[in-house]
Amino acid sequence: MGVFDYIRLGVLAVFGGPEMFSVLGVPISITLAMILFGFLLGIATGATPGLAGPVAMAISLPILISAFGFTPDALLPVMGFLIGVMKGATVGGAVPAILFNTPGTPDAFMTTLDGYPMARGGRAGKALRIAHFSSASGDTFSDVVLILCAPFLAILVESYLDLPEKTALLILSLAFISSVIGNSVGKGLISMGLGLFASFVGTGEDFYPRLSMGTQSLAGGFPVTTAVLGVLILGEVFKGIEDLRSERRSGAAPEPVMERGDQRLNRGDIGRLAPYIARSALIGTAIGALPGIGSTLAATLGYSLNRNRYERVKSTDDPAFGTGAPEGVAATEAANSSVSGANLIPVLSLGIPGNAAAVFLILAAESIGGFNPGPSVFRFSADTVNPELVIAFGLFTAMMLANLLNWTVGGVFMRSMGIMIRVPKHILLPIVLLLTLTAIYVQETRMEAMWFAIAFGVLGYFMRRLGMSPLPFVIAFLLGGKLEETARQAFAATGGDPFFLVTSPVAFAFIALSVGVIVFSLRRKKRAGA
Amino acid sequence: MRTLISASIAAFATLLGSTAAMATDWTPPGPIKLAIAFAAGGGADTQARLIAEELETRHGWSIVPEQITGKGGMNLALAIKDEPNDGSVIGMVVTETLGYNMRAAEAGVTPADFTPIVTTAGFQMGIVSQASKGWNTFHDVIAAAKDGERIRFGVMSPKLADIAYLLGKRNGVDLNIIQVAGGRAVMNGVNAGDMDLGFMAGIQSKGVAAGDLVNLASALSTPLGQTPDAPLLSDLGVEFSADGYFVFIGPAGMPTEAGEALASAIAEVVRDESTKAGGVIRNSFGGPTVITGEELNALVNSDFENAGALLAAASE
Amino acid sequence: MRPRSITNHVLGIGCIAASLTAIFLWIPSDTSTGLVETVRRQVSVGDALAPTVAAGFVLAGGALVHHRDGTASAKTRVTPGNLRFLVVLLSILAVSHAVMRWAGPAAAGLVTEEGYRALRNTIPWKHIGFFLGGSLLVTGLISSVEGRVTVRSILIGALATLAMIAVYDLPFEDLLLPPNGDV
Repeated sequence: MGVFDYIRLGVLAVFGGPEMFSVLGVPISITLAMILFGFLLGIATGATPGLAGPVAMAISLPILISAFGFTPDALLPVMGFLIGVMKGATVGGAVPAILFNTPGTPDAFMTTLDGYPMARGGRAGKALRIAHFSSASGDTFSDVVLILCAPFLAILVESYLDLPEKTALLILSLAFISSVIGNSVGKGLISMGLGLFASFVGTGEDFYPRLSMGTQSLAGGFPVTTAVLGVLILGEVFKGIEDLRSERRSGAAPEPVMERGDQRLNRGDIGRLAPYIARSALIGTAIGALPGIGSTLAATLGYSLNRNRYERVKSTDDPAFGTGAPEGVAATEAANSSVSGANLIPVLSLGIPGNAAAVFLILAAESIGGFNPGPSVFRFSADTVNPELVIAFGLFTAMMLANLLNWTVGGVFMRSMGIMIRVPKHILLPIVLLLTLTAIYVQETRMEAMWFAIAFGVLGYFMRRLGMSPLPFVIAFLLGGKLEETARQAFAATGGDPFFLVTSPVAFAFIALSVGVIVFSLRRKKRAGA
Repeated sequence: MRTLISASIAAFATLLGSTAAMATDWTPPGPIKLAIAFAAGGGADTQARLIAEELETRHGWSIVPEQITGKGGMNLALAIKDEPNDGSVIGMVVTETLGYNMRAAEAGVTPADFTPIVTTAGFQMGIVSQASKGWNTFHDVIAAAKDGERIRFGVMSPKLADIAYLLGKRNGVDLNIIQVAGGRAVMNGVNAGDMDLGFMAGIQSKGVAAGDLVNLASALSTPLGQTPDAPLLSDLGVEFSADGYFVFIGPAGMPTEAGEALASAIAEVVRDESTKAGGVIRNSFGGPTVITGEELNALVNSDFENAGALLAAASE
Repeated sequence: MRPRSITNHVLGIGCIAASLTAIFLWIPSDTSTGLVETVRRQVSVGDALAPTVAAGFVLAGGALVHHRDGTASAKTRVTPGNLRFLVVLLSILAVSHAVMRWAGPAAAGLVTEEGYRALRNTIPWKHIGFFLGGSLLVTGLISSVEGRVTVRSILIGALATLAMIAVYDLPFEDLLLPPNGDV
């Protein structure tokens, strides 16, 4: 079984699955159809202010799993759908940002700076086309990097890292995530520590379920869905409902903008924008490959670096960044979109998720089973087929298909989504709340699980009010079990060496880096705060 | 004892036709909740879900599978203990749950708190290493350890950790025992080189057939189907074995009628190789092993009683 | 210089206190193996170690927040208004949760002989609790934002819940809506 055999099998797994329907005699496989549905849903969700990709993923996951079952055959349709949502939401977020100065997703905020002035200047269609073109370019580039890098990184990890080094690598990623997200290292550490602690309830190696206070409710630990959906989705919904209560919005929807003149994107435009898109795509991909740094930072960096460049080369009558420069829209959208593919590099090669979308892909893989994201996926076995590797190449195929959809139908669909701004948020959020709770019950079938989720929702609410990022919590919760297991195994494998984390040079380097990244962030943030 | 059981399995198989006819009147009161003590997507989970699917098509019952994993099946056992015992709540665990684990956990329950219903298949539990290690049997491992090599031994339950420890002790070598969650984790660890060898309960069959993995020893009281020449634990000086079965259980006091109806319905499915469930059992677990009724009660009780001896031997 | 942030002060102290309680009281009394233990003549990691390390991170974070995040912008703080909102929110959740759990069994207990458990897979019994509780939740939250109860919000609550029944329950045999997995 060589690399090309696996690529062939992966592609076949996507196209050759059970037939959903056929177009002109050509059968369309279920996976293909699911990628399309996910993509369209993602664009609609991204274009709705107050919703984002993770919400759509959270609510559809239990429905998808029940529809497709718990067999490995379910992996590609379900994860293909989620990948579609992820990519759709990235594109969709630009729509309300450009048309109504309201970003649909947080990372589309920078898009408002030039997109909205363009729209007010009568060039809304052009701004949307630029956003779509840049987003699709950045996304595709990032996926290519992922497909080229993830297998090699995984093989490198698997062949050179022993248990102590793997433990140290997990510690490094947690240290990194908690210190780079948000503006306070202290709050990042609290968020991460709480996530780890929550994951340790009810688990452990002894038969007594630790920290369960003797109750049967806590003996099985907190189900992953309750913690992840509670902190990420319910926390956001609670905050959103309170914000609406204090605003008591008048309910007047913003007026759509008028378009004047040529809205098309011509070859000259593309040539002019290409260098900006390329720079942003590189920045976004590099940032996305590091776990925990999200697309918002990528957008900010891409925007400001390209602004400096633009100021030097622009002719005097071109609009400056922030006043309706097409280059500004291109720079932001290419940067935030190129994060999504690269973000899956640590997921697939190390099993470490870096953002909310990746968290849901891991959740799907864990709930269905048969695919454990991490270095063992990329074992190129000689005689037998490694089914996980086929899935991995199937996922790569799904991503490229979603990109193809993005290039073909994405733009048209996206430009029709301006209507989503009219969805009344104060009706939407309670429905999302009930949907999420129902989704959790359907998976866990006990009322307690809903209360766990609500409690985690309250925690997520406070985190948002306190300016503490919930992402370190969620990632630490997902990695907690793995961290403890790897550390236990490393300790046992070294015959009980208490210094196993610092005796090998590689492990020592990882630990030193972990300390370094925390100390560095402390100093940087102190300067920034002073 | 073991041979007696295996002999009676065959005898019971012929008996089963009549019990099946007897128990067909029973219908479950509403949907049946099937708790599964194994991680989603693994071989054991697949087996349970396929059996449930086939029962639904054959008998028109409605079965709702649900994962209750952790603590070697003890989480499941404690969760269903006080549920209704009318056959509407059942669970799939391994006999080790009611035996060693229930004994070691000291959680205030005994096998008497449950109704064992039927077993579906036994483990093909071997001690396995990568072929590239160059070992042919466990004797080579002992020799390597005596030459000073540090050996990492992967296990997936405390009972197996005890057996691994005794294997080292009886042969005068020190083994670094690494406990992980589930057979797949052992296989991944062995494949990645994080462990030198480990217990695998059937998951190794494809790798052994392809020549990537080697069964160094049988961890059963009988030879492995795939590698009959591999030494038994008794050949290696260990008087215990890792014999065990997948077993359906319910809360204590389940009416005989319900228990028998469930047992015969499940037995029919696992014996029928033309069903998906039967196919999985043949391919991954070396064929069905159906034990039920008094036979199963005796097996479960003796496992529980004998667990004390292994615990004591391993803590010496 | 900005004023000292009371919220961060409380957060820091709270995290320090909570993590110390966990490390010295909760973890030692609620785990069965210590930080390290010796089994089978091998020293191995006990069940108390990982939670202690996790609580250590909370402790360190709390100390950092307390000593270094002395000032904070007005946006990152918790006001009494926030807490009042949470009380309202949790009350709506609690009432609708109770209705969802008990409406079906109560109706079945009043009207039928056999009780809810036997009917938990039968329409309309199995949907009573979810429909009433779910509608109450959605309508209640919409009304709390609008500041009044309208016919429109009641209709939206009912329709949304019916839609969820249609999506989750009707197509799938194996899915249980609340509370049917608990009864």
